[in-house]
Amino acid sequence: MTMYNQTTDERVDKALANSFLRQATRRATDRLRNNKYKAADELGNWEEWRAAGEAIRKNVISNLDYYLNQLIEQMEKRGVHVHLAKTPADAVTVVRNIVREHNAKNVLKSKSMISEEIHLNHALEEDGVEVVETDLGEYIIQIASEPPSHIIVPAMHKTRQQVADLFEPIAGHALSSDTPTLTRFVRTQMREKFLRGDIGITGCNFAVASTGSIVMVTNEGNGRMVSTLPRVQITLMGMERIVPSFRELDILLNLLARSATGQRLSSYTTILTPPKNTADPDGPEEYHLVILDHNRSEILGDKLFRSSLNCIRCGACFNVCPVYRQLGGHAYGSVYSGPIGSVITPLLEKDWKKWGHLPYFSSLCGACSEACPVRIPLHDLLVKLRMRKTQSGHTPQVERQIFKAYRYFFTREKTLRRALRLGARLQWPFVRNQRITGGPPPLSNWTNSRTLPMVAPKPFMQLWADLKNKR
Amino acid sequence: MSNTSDFISNLASKLGRPTPTEPPPQVELSVPQYRLSNTEERVSIFMQNWQALGGKGAIVRSADETLQCLKAWFGEQPITWFKENSQALLAWDTLPTIAESAFSSLNWPLTRYSQSAFDPRDRYSIAANAELGITGSDWGISLSGTVVVKSDPLRGRAISLLPPRHLSFIESTQIQDNLFNVLEEVAALGSPPAAIEMISGPSRTSDIEMDLSIGVHGPIEVYVIVIDH
Repeated sequence: MTMYNQTTDERVDKALANSFLRQATRRATDRLRNNKYKAADELGNWEEWRAAGEAIRKNVISNLDYYLNQLIEQMEKRGVHVHLAKTPADAVTVVRNIVREHNAKNVLKSKSMISEEIHLNHALEEDGVEVVETDLGEYIIQIASEPPSHIIVPAMHKTRQQVADLFEPIAGHALSSDTPTLTRFVRTQMREKFLRGDIGITGCNFAVASTGSIVMVTNEGNGRMVSTLPRVQITLMGMERIVPSFRELDILLNLLARSATGQRLSSYTTILTPPKNTADPDGPEEYHLVILDHNRSEILGDKLFRSSLNCIRCGACFNVCPVYRQLGGHAYGSVYSGPIGSVITPLLEKDWKKWGHLPYFSSLCGACSEACPVRIPLHDLLVKLRMRKTQSGHTPQVERQIFKAYRYFFTREKTLRRALRLGARLQWPFVRNQRITGGPPPLSNWTNSRTLPMVAPKPFMQLWADLKNKR
Repeated sequence: MSNTSDFISNLASKLGRPTPTEPPPQVELSVPQYRLSNTEERVSIFMQNWQALGGKGAIVRSADETLQCLKAWFGEQPITWFKENSQALLAWDTLPTIAESAFSSLNWPLTRYSQSAFDPRDRYSIAANAELGITGSDWGISLSGTVVVKSDPLRGRAISLLPPRHLSFIESTQIQDNLFNVLEEVAALGSPPAAIEMISGPSRTSDIEMDLSIGVHGPIEVYVIVIDH
């Protein structure tokens, strides 16, 4: 994955230079956002649904131990193999072992963000296993060796011609780039793969604790294929994906479909209560559920950020974000993109050095919090993350020096006045049209792309004093 | 790998209390739900929404009306299909009586999926090569134009998935206002079947330049016949 090796600045520069990417991102997010507005308006009482969604998610998260235990009991009672993975490496090992035990060569995958989070494909491919992403968007980016650029539309950054170019070596002949031709090609390709798949790996939108059921939504039907045809199925779930019972599922499925794509329900909503009945003519005989922690328990124990676990992964925050709507998700580097990705990535990965930049990619306008169907205060969490990063000492040396200097001057009135007078005199070589447009480092980091207001010839403190004297 | 009790205890300690032994209190849910007044209205709205999603639909009251409807939709196509593939029409072991007699009168033989082959992979091939998969539906949802199908040893999940066309029969009284009502019925089952499929229109994707495309994996054409006694 070359993308992960680039710096954020390199990725942003690359994205800025890609006019199709910018146009496609805008088109996709506009469409998804507007569809969502329509679907939300149609309910007529969207705020009540949001409040109910928030209440359900809060209840689940604050009783996660109880519900998770109930889910595990229900699953194990029916013979499901439940695996609890503390780390991504644990989860990868579980899956690798299952695949090895069955001597499986063909693994089919439907969409799973957890598999992206734990970088599963790479590990299985190292074992000589053919892993096929069956969601069309995921299939495209798998061939291109890229991570998803949007949680709902993972290949939104690709032009149809780029897609055709990626498919042609597999087809062995030229392909027209019209959508029906490309879709037909994938249908034919995938059919053969579906019919010979040894193991199916799926994600999980919700897990119903009271019955031990897994709920998956897809529009293409690939989730159904992967959970119906292979003899062995593995479902990967983040440990917070729980819903207490079918009673609450109604609210969350409505919120998810409407917020993600503006549909009343996705084309296929599948409720699996595995494994199959022995006499059923299809469905997996052997079923494994892998439940991943990966620092979610740390987030659970951190009251400031616990609400980030309420997310239902709809992508609505991405579609309204003035930052992510410009360049898409790749530019910022994380698997989970959009404002929720900027919140959870530093917490899941516990790596400020690598991911500490993410909370700063926000204008803090609050559009994400308003769009969130379960009312996560995302912009507030982004501010708190900045605070947490600062407290943990991971801010750049320059930033620390600037704030030290700020404290020094602003706690010494006379020194500050002298510095302002000096600044007002020294600034002239850098002033154009009443703005500071250049300067020595570190000032140049700012002025390379923006300007600064001039130091006022008469500082506010002086103006205030003059005003008082006039009275 | 963690064992369950360690994993759960860790969560309890993060939450700062022992794991509750009683179920946590349920959240009050008071969202106003979509309601319709009678079956006729439910059928009518269901049909509108099903068709808006790209499905074809009809309401029938007898085997003869069903037969007419099938002829109107498929014409002589099945005869052509049978020349290539005698298992072109793949169905549940038992369909509603009206459907069984319509297919029988048309002399369109149905292959029963569960009995079509011994090996599951052979059954999948038969389903993938079939032209039309025929099922019943346990419930419908008016608001979203959805049919809901439970799995069962005499049914088969691949019938509504692998063939390029899917036809489903549903009793008009089984159509519910909204998803909540269907999930109440599911909850009342106590122990749900291995799979419940909620199907709202054909297989669709907008993954290439947000351009809508039908039938990337699942059925390309979907049909529903509402049986109104």
